Amino acid sequence: MSETPIWERRYDRKGFVALSAMTAFLAACGGSTTADEDTDTGGTTTGAAQAPQASGTLHYYNWADYVNPETYPKFTADTGVKIKKDFYASNEDLQAKLQGGARGYDLIVPTGYMVQILGDANLLEPIDWSKLPNVEENLDSKFRKLPFDPQDEWSVAKDWGTTGFVYRTDLVKERPTTWKEFFELAKGKYSKKVTVLDGIPEVVGSTLVMLGHSYNSEDEGELQEARDALIELKPHILAITSTEYKQMLIDGKAVMALGWNGDGAAVVAKKPAEYVVPEEGGEFWVDSYAIPAGAKNPDAAHAWINYVYDPEINSLETAYTYYGSPLKRDVLEGVMDPAILSNTDVFPAEDTLAKLEPNKVTPEGTKLRDRIWTEFKSA
Amino acid sequence: MAVGTSRLSLRRRRDIVRAGAGGPRYPAWLALPAFVWYALFFIGPLSIMAVFSVAERVGFTGILYTFSLDNFVYLWDPLYGRVFLRTLGLAFFGTVATLIVGFPLAYYLARYARRKTLLLMLIVVPFWTSFLIRTYSWLIILDRDFPVFRALRSIGVLPEDLQILYTSKAVYIGIVYNYLPLMVLPLYAALERMDWSLVEAAQDLGDNALQAFRRVTLPLVLPGVLAGSLLVFIPLMGEFLTPVILGGDLTVYAGNLIGQQFLTARDWPFGAAIAMVVIAAMTVLVLAYARLAGKQAEYGR
Repeated sequence: MSETPIWERRYDRKGFVALSAMTAFLAACGGSTTADEDTDTGGTTTGAAQAPQASGTLHYYNWADYVNPETYPKFTADTGVKIKKDFYASNEDLQAKLQGGARGYDLIVPTGYMVQILGDANLLEPIDWSKLPNVEENLDSKFRKLPFDPQDEWSVAKDWGTTGFVYRTDLVKERPTTWKEFFELAKGKYSKKVTVLDGIPEVVGSTLVMLGHSYNSEDEGELQEARDALIELKPHILAITSTEYKQMLIDGKAVMALGWNGDGAAVVAKKPAEYVVPEEGGEFWVDSYAIPAGAKNPDAAHAWINYVYDPEINSLETAYTYYGSPLKRDVLEGVMDPAILSNTDVFPAEDTLAKLEPNKVTPEGTKLRDRIWTEFKSA
Repeated sequence: MAVGTSRLSLRRRRDIVRAGAGGPRYPAWLALPAFVWYALFFIGPLSIMAVFSVAERVGFTGILYTFSLDNFVYLWDPLYGRVFLRTLGLAFFGTVATLIVGFPLAYYLARYARRKTLLLMLIVVPFWTSFLIRTYSWLIILDRDFPVFRALRSIGVLPEDLQILYTSKAVYIGIVYNYLPLMVLPLYAALERMDWSLVEAAQDLGDNALQAFRRVTLPLVLPGVLAGSLLVFIPLMGEFLTPVILGGDLTVYAGNLIGQQFLTARDWPFGAAIAMVVIAAMTVLVLAYARLAGKQAEYGR
């Protein structure tokens, strides 16, 4: 029985991806369609981090609802830099806009693979680490030199999360903990009650991991195995969606879904459910700060990055977004709300994390995956 | 001119119409704005696509301008062949379904309805709302728990395990709904011009209602059927949102495949090649259809 009517549903930052990919071109052609907002209200003037000199206005192009609203006035009060905001709803949206020649943004937040693509296309300015003392001091080393930016040239981690699966604990009694169990249950008992993301890397990558291969494998034999497993799974899928599965799980129309931890947490908050990072492993994604080529005020961008790397500010950010913080754990200890710090949906355990890989794309791998995806959907 | 004489051959009559004889002559420059518009926003982009389709992808976003048929060779594959056939099927059956629903409606409107303007308004009004919102609203209506379905299930009219949403049924319902006005309006225009006394005459001369419909009404409104079918068929060949929203995104049509190349695979040349093939196939089909139906219309007269 439906509890939340469709008009009241909220999509989070990740859930928008699929839907808005369709309209990415419109955004690219239509110029700025989202509202600009000026934030120059004064806040407290305490707790100034040793921010490098910056002035003027910061043009911040970001996912909607991805910054604690209190952070803006604090930043302006502490640094004197005003903020102009604009929002996008998918990485492809962002890419289309930058490739279409949009200039004037100083700071963006692409997901890892998009950092690689934008860097590859000369659409980013290098990061000047000498202007980021807070980052140097507080960033956990496991978020440095990530595969999509091996030289730390283009990006600084902002938030991170995982791709796994969610299931309703009251409707699925088997308590699956592995991808294998997810696939077996989907093909058997819960046929037509399971959804997967409308995301090529997530679905193909997770299948590869189930088969014991790397999430980013480009081995044709391994990809062939993944293809076969997916075609076998296909008739049992209720829908391929990144935007609707949260609600389907809440309504009980779906009982298991391959999805992101943020959506998983949203389901857990409403119904008896569990988000699982499968034992075989899977993906961990990182959204990073980057500075687009032609930025007018890169100093302000550096100032912002440095500012939010202050442990106190960062704790407020995490308390708002509920995505993992890339700061060292001992730095956050005692500053961040312990309930959040010990929440394994926000901060998975070390041994869980060790098994995860970030999505790394290559043109060839993308082509092979695209074909598998077409076969999967055609099956 | 000899237009007044009764038995002009069809061919001659068509020649006269083509030459614009018998009517006022408009200067050609009236077509200039449209010509410029098409040159800039149709021929232009189409040429860019043609250039892309024979280019090669370099890295993630780069394009090497060359002349290579690799993209078309890659497309020559049973996998993509099935996608094309499926798209063709969707466009064909979608058009037929829309015609089946739309024709009786247009017929009623043109021949019997009292408040024609109001009814026509009601057909057009949904078009004032965004396509996306209209399609999303079907998610609510087709939901298993929609009160009507629940009631029908509880009294046993509908089977307990009936699933409409995320099946091809839902896709067709959405398509017929979304494209209905495109079919009804040209049909209505054609039927509105009908001289119903011809049908009465046919019946007076011994035709039954069905015969009169087949031999008099249908040939006379065929241009309307043709126009409506094309207006529905052509966009259906590129349709991709309805299957995504109402079909649970469980199948690939040509439109999805093209979108996938541009948005996620980032292979613009391959996407352009698919689009070129779809355009070419559609041009051939539409020309053949127009020719065939045009002949029908002539013989019918």
